[in-house]
Amino acid sequence: MEATAVADALESAIVGQAQARLGLLLALVAREHVYLEGPPGCGKSLLAETLARAATAKPVFVQFHRDTRSAELLGESVLLARPAAGGQRLSRELLPGALLEAEVAVLDDLSRAPGEAIGVLLPILGERRTAGLALPLETAIATAAPRGAESYGDPLEPTQLDRFAIQVRLSGAVSSDRAEEARQILERAVRTRAAEAAAAGSGLPLSAAERRALQARAAALELPASIRSALLRLAARLREASPEGEALITDRGFGIQAPRILRAHALLRGADRVAEPDLAAVGVMLACRVPESVRAALPELIDESISAPDSAQGAVPGEGADRVSGEGGAGVTTPGASVAADRIDAPIERVASRSPDTDLTSAEVAPLLEAIEGRLERGSAERGDDPGGTPRRYRRMRRLEEVFDADPIEAVQFVDGELPGMPHSYARERPSRGGTLAVLRDVSASMEGRLSRWAGEVVDGIVRTAARRRMRIGYCEFNHHAERFTADGRFFHRRYRKLRSLARSRRSEGRTNYEAPLRLALDEFRRGVGDNRHVVLLTDGVPVLGDPVVSRERREARRLGVRIHTVFLGLGECPQVLDQLSRETDGVRFRGVPAAGGRLRVQARVERSADR
Amino acid sequence: MSGWMGGSELAALRALLDRHVVGHDEAKAALLLGLVCREHVYLEGPPGSAKTRMAEIAARGSELDFFFYQMHRDTRLAELVGDVVLERRPLAASPGDPEPRGERIHQKIEPGGLLLAQVCVLDDISRAPGEALNVLLRILNERKFGDAPIPLLSAIATSNPMRDEYYNEPLDPANMDRFGIQLSVGSLVGSSEPELARSLLDRFVDGEVEEQPVLEPVCDRGLFDRLFARLGKVPVPEPVRQALLQFLHVLVRDYDCNETNALLTDRSFLVKSVKLLRGSALMAGREAVEAGDLDVLRWMTTFRVPAEVHAQVPEILERVKEKYR
Repeated sequence: MEATAVADALESAIVGQAQARLGLLLALVAREHVYLEGPPGCGKSLLAETLARAATAKPVFVQFHRDTRSAELLGESVLLARPAAGGQRLSRELLPGALLEAEVAVLDDLSRAPGEAIGVLLPILGERRTAGLALPLETAIATAAPRGAESYGDPLEPTQLDRFAIQVRLSGAVSSDRAEEARQILERAVRTRAAEAAAAGSGLPLSAAERRALQARAAALELPASIRSALLRLAARLREASPEGEALITDRGFGIQAPRILRAHALLRGADRVAEPDLAAVGVMLACRVPESVRAALPELIDESISAPDSAQGAVPGEGADRVSGEGGAGVTTPGASVAADRIDAPIERVASRSPDTDLTSAEVAPLLEAIEGRLERGSAERGDDPGGTPRRYRRMRRLEEVFDADPIEAVQFVDGELPGMPHSYARERPSRGGTLAVLRDVSASMEGRLSRWAGEVVDGIVRTAARRRMRIGYCEFNHHAERFTADGRFFHRRYRKLRSLARSRRSEGRTNYEAPLRLALDEFRRGVGDNRHVVLLTDGVPVLGDPVVSRERREARRLGVRIHTVFLGLGECPQVLDQLSRETDGVRFRGVPAAGGRLRVQARVERSADR
Repeated sequence: MSGWMGGSELAALRALLDRHVVGHDEAKAALLLGLVCREHVYLEGPPGSAKTRMAEIAARGSELDFFFYQMHRDTRLAELVGDVVLERRPLAASPGDPEPRGERIHQKIEPGGLLLAQVCVLDDISRAPGEALNVLLRILNERKFGDAPIPLLSAIATSNPMRDEYYNEPLDPANMDRFGIQLSVGSLVGSSEPELARSLLDRFVDGEVEEQPVLEPVCDRGLFDRLFARLGKVPVPEPVRQALLQFLHVLVRDYDCNETNALLTDRSFLVKSVKLLRGSALMAGREAVEAGDLDVLRWMTTFRVPAEVHAQVPEILERVKEKYR
């Protein structure tokens, strides 16, 4: 069979990664798109490029980067001037670029692309047409770094990923300790000379005509009703096994893409009709559609879908699914389902890092963290332009040097003096990685027992939230005087681990003084640079020492642009000065209130008076 | 790593480095290894610890075209690779439009800087915005810009230690992986070898070392081409391969290195490592890789595994070498 030539080419190019190789072959035959996700250096790009070279006469390679422009994807804009009544008419047209003429496209490092480019690209992939023009594109292969890894682009959303029927996650042989594979890669590295590496994969084992013939044969394969029903049941089982909202089981995915993939699988198997073994091909669709635990349970889910009582023929999919879930409950491995129960209220990361000595569920702290995070977000939005940032949108050019970022045609018109006004140029912004946060924690005598534990929990959560944004954090404990905790002599630092261990502090002594800690924090802010500055003040008491209304500090905080978030843990009336602090500096206001089981619940403080 | 450069053609270059830079034996060897293997080098160290100076001397001493760029907070790619130009050409006729009146406007880059250099120093790389580095490092990795190959042998990036500097951002892992060789350089003042600092002082005061030396080439630029041609043919004996695999296995199994805390990529540790082993053998004037060459692996793990694991790498290597001797 001709497809084996492509399979051989892939196998000779890369060791292991069988799932990815299968996915690529299926994509080629089924004319679907592929999304390969994996850490650096595990062969993603190599696989994609090898398939493109081995299987088609018309590949295109797009290396995505921060500045990828839609023009690079679509082609060049040209400016046309035609005589018209009383002058000339200027119009802009598109000279189709390589992507619009390619049959197989390699989209390398798609995760680095700016939102604008992705916005242009995805419709092309989905519709296979642009501006009314039908495209020859058959298969696009995108590679991406794992989501959540430090990347600077806009992460692709699951719904965007749905365009990629085939999704495979790769891992490295070394870091996964797959000894035999590592051995083979090493052997190959020792053997392969640079020249051979360049030559590999340059042949064309599969001609365009052969490829089309394969695709046509696959599309014509019989897909029996029993398999159709089993496929729909499988889709339903995958959805049930996944926690609420974490499965991406779409009509497009299982109504349109999956049948093509099953047919391609049957063809590659050498079968003349789709049969039960082909359901396994669904495995190459799942990397970003269901959680890993559910994907691992695929063989069982397939067995259940096949062996379900034969309500199948002609059944409405919903019915079939209901019945399966009704009867298949006992003894069935659905790891995802048990995870789901834990996750209903608390996002997994908060559950995972909960310290064992707490009697609070972190979910109770969550509203506070979310509100503070919202403010951090707002701070970053205010940060505005940064010439080294990611292009976000077009706006009028402001400085002459921005002409390099300007729309080329408008730039030329501008230079010629033909453009009324300024050309459009990219507005570049940086995601906020930075900012400063001071945590001021009351450790006066009344902060004992559960109050102290709870305060520690809040501090821990804040540190984690701020660490995700790489903020520098200063930590201060105060009672009648304020104590700063430094690292390398600095108040603000990024020793997150150290900060989190400080959160476990359980000391409580002395009396409360608001002025001292605020003074200390504001002094530190005054010495430093940068915007996006925050203070979180955690307290349970009224100030009995220092200025009780901290008037000087309030003024200074406004002047320095520091937001003060206040969290009152006491049971009595919240001191008015806390409301004032937050309100005047655009901070959030929270309080802890007693809840069932001796717990505390955190909720937004409401204004007591309407005197705003 | 005794015996390095003994009798090899690189000895003259190493002597030149020694004449103008006091101490830093490891960094000098790593730099030359980078040039021999055509791998990029990442040097982290405090300001004024001769990082740039060593790179420049190695380049000028071997007649290589040298490009120095001080990275800064607003660094843009165009500053590194040349000028951005807008090119306009009259539109060619097409079947549908026999007499077009218009022009084609194209933004392109006129090659310069990095694209023409054989050795480049990217100073203070951590100051550049992380996002801006993506394209740059991609160029470094592929040694191609667009479709055109570039003559670059080795890019040497320097950085101040990753403290809590205001504008420093750690390189993201994928970018870090582009630098095959990574090591940290200390200052001589305050090091465990005070005599080196003394020697530096004496030699400067006595005028033996000049601040801005006029450098005569001590070898020709063909040297690195000849070495590179030999590199791929240097045999890697079976025990060394086993030892390399065992070393990686130990890091993963016994030291808990995984995809989240370490960067043990297949590309670096199974492909680039072979080049470095061979380069190490060539630099020692040998025709085959030996177990001793495995010591170069400690220049790969510097920032790829957690610091506490890296500190134990020499010990792990000793055990592995012992086992497969």
